[in-house]
Amino acid sequence: MYMLRALDIYKSFDHLKVLKGVSLTVQRGEVIAIIGPSGSGKSTFLRCLNRLETIDRGTIEIEGEIMVQNGPDGRAVYSGEKEIALIRRKMGMVFQNFNLFPHKSVLENLILAPVIVNRVPREEAEKTALELLRKVGLENKARNYPFELSGGQQQRVAIARALAMNPDIMCFDEPTSALDPELTGEVLKVMQDLAAEHMTMIIVTHEIGFAREVADKVIFMDEGIIVEQGKAKEVIDNPKHERTREFLSKVLRV
Amino acid sequence: MDYVLKLLPHMLEGWKTTLSLFFLTLILCLPLGTIMGIARISKFKPLQWFMEFYVWIFRGTPLLLQLLFVYFGLMTVGIRLERFTAALLAFVLNYAAYLAEIIRSGIQSIDRGQYEAADVLGLTRFQTMTNIILPQVFKRVVPPIGNEVINLVKDSALIYVLAISELLRVAKTAVMRDETFVPFIMAAVFYLFMTAVVQQFFKWVEHKFDYYR
Repeated sequence: MYMLRALDIYKSFDHLKVLKGVSLTVQRGEVIAIIGPSGSGKSTFLRCLNRLETIDRGTIEIEGEIMVQNGPDGRAVYSGEKEIALIRRKMGMVFQNFNLFPHKSVLENLILAPVIVNRVPREEAEKTALELLRKVGLENKARNYPFELSGGQQQRVAIARALAMNPDIMCFDEPTSALDPELTGEVLKVMQDLAAEHMTMIIVTHEIGFAREVADKVIFMDEGIIVEQGKAKEVIDNPKHERTREFLSKVLRV
Repeated sequence: MDYVLKLLPHMLEGWKTTLSLFFLTLILCLPLGTIMGIARISKFKPLQWFMEFYVWIFRGTPLLLQLLFVYFGLMTVGIRLERFTAALLAFVLNYAAYLAEIIRSGIQSIDRGQYEAADVLGLTRFQTMTNIILPQVFKRVVPPIGNEVINLVKDSALIYVLAISELLRVAKTAVMRDETFVPFIMAAVFYLFMTAVVQQFFKWVEHKFDYYR
């Protein structure tokens, strides 16, 4: 049973075609890494999956429930707000810039949505939050405010915050791109732990080494299409397409 | 000194009027201005246009003129307000317009990522506004609102045109009657005292918000 299915997604910003027929199927427990040059549409694609961007054409289904599909005129028609809200609740999202709530302590960042969206009792939410903070190695930072943390710590809090909603799928939009190089390791480690627990993950990343090690499948996107996809090691070690080879040689050349 | 003591009760009487105008305006225009600030960027275009028009009118004309309009203008169409009520109405409408602009720019200065984070966590627009956006807006607007409140202290003197005996009018009457400049000095001391209190208060509020950046 697939967890998420996106079929033939098209998306334009004004007249710029960003996605030109992208399809992806994600199985339960699968870790997908999406790589590609900037402007390839990989972040936009990820943002379309949980409707941070709306698509022009295509189908998105999550755990068998349709979020959007083509209407009779061939343009995307979204399901009702209520259904979409329920579907989106299955997905957690981690942003490049963390987007923690600066006026809330770390603990409050984690319990906010469980308490006001899922109506979890506060005590229970705090208990879960503290467990999650332990998991990302930050239980001693519960009372701190985001500005008191390093970038790597903030991103780990952001991951814990997404997990606090108990999602079935975790989406990561370049989670380490805003970090100093020496801080990426701690974030990748947390993601690796999640993968080991068979969390279903879709990761847009520039960390090719990480993708190779942790992802089951790598997708290489360029100019709004999927150029190549397959087992992570195969795509990265033996890319079949010229564009993939070119991209990898550029990123891996040190 | 005797003169000062003799005049003081009258000055205090005037000061009371000034203070009531000050506090009532503040209490009414803060929530009103916040709502107007949100309406100013409403997705509902007519509301947005109306607010833009409203702000233009109230920022684009002198407060003094607005006072006259509310009192005498309404009188010509048969609405007779108490002088103080008319003054209060004009002040609230005027200051709400300025506040609306401050709140609007505050809301628009909040990073898009905050909305997106709230959105993916399943918060409704209303929950996002009340839990995430507005608390951060309030921190950012404290300094500009402080400016407006200091202006309000000084603008309160304008209601003299409606022959309301506020602080400055009391002082002016005494100056004319007693042919001495002392009442003006006393009035200045009152205003400086009020603005000093406002300034300290806002310093304290800013400090209160220091717990995060």
